Amino acid sequence: MARASVRQIWLQYVTAILLIFLLTWHLVIRVPWLRGVNSFAETLANEKVYHEITAYGVLLIIFAWTVVLHAFNGLRTILLEWTSGKYKGLITALAVILILVFGSLATYTVVGVKPLPSGG
Amino acid sequence: MAEKDGKVKVLENRPGWIASINPWVLKIINNPERTAFVLHRITGLLMALIIMAHIYVTGTPARVGWEAWAEEISKAHGITPVTLYFFFFAGIAWYHGLNGIRLLLTEFFGVCIGKPEKPKPPYEAPSLKACQRKLLYLVFLLWGVLWALTGYIVFFK
Repeated sequence: MARASVRQIWLQYVTAILLIFLLTWHLVIRVPWLRGVNSFAETLANEKVYHEITAYGVLLIIFAWTVVLHAFNGLRTILLEWTSGKYKGLITALAVILILVFGSLATYTVVGVKPLPSGG
Repeated sequence: MAEKDGKVKVLENRPGWIASINPWVLKIINNPERTAFVLHRITGLLMALIIMAHIYVTGTPARVGWEAWAEEISKAHGITPVTLYFFFFAGIAWYHGLNGIRLLLTEFFGVCIGKPEKPKPPYEAPSLKACQRKLLYLVFLLWGVLWALTGYIVFFK
């Protein structure tokens, strides 16, 4: 039991350290003057986003799985604390399902991205 | 919780889940650490919810196509629901991230928590006198600055 708790804490800390770098990168690429464009909306233009997905796909997948692990493991911890550990199995199952569903959805965004239509 | 005459009574020092979202439940004077904890928890909960929507929406190019994505992004000019969403999401992420770095430094690496000392009146914990509190104020300051900068970029650039 105790070992599992320690693993959970380590998971939260290690993903947090990774997220410092990954989230900084994710936010910085939305800064217009660092992307050579004039507005925030232009950083989200089709060509820019397509380039990010195709050029940094692996990094985006790592980022997505790190985020969902950190978010839903954190949510699990809060819910366990609120319920005094009463529904541990149910809450853990919910967290695992959320991690798998949203991690897979994010992975599909990268691997299943459609090519840009010609001329745009 | 304590049981009295068959009824469950919440004791004042065990306020339950409400203490997670209300920094004033525990009546402790000069306790910015509690405010930081509550804010970290609220922003964490909000982020867990928003991340689900964010992953779903950013999947538009794969799920629907680029025309749908371009239509969404056409609404990201000026003050619109789309830019307000980015603004609030970024604000929540800035606080959670900056305070998270402080927590990593103090809890994980033991930076700025002071050295243990023999308890003497007035029994002030060394961790509350150490530089972690300065780090905390720095977190609040940086949060304000970065959130304001985000607002400028999202709404006016």
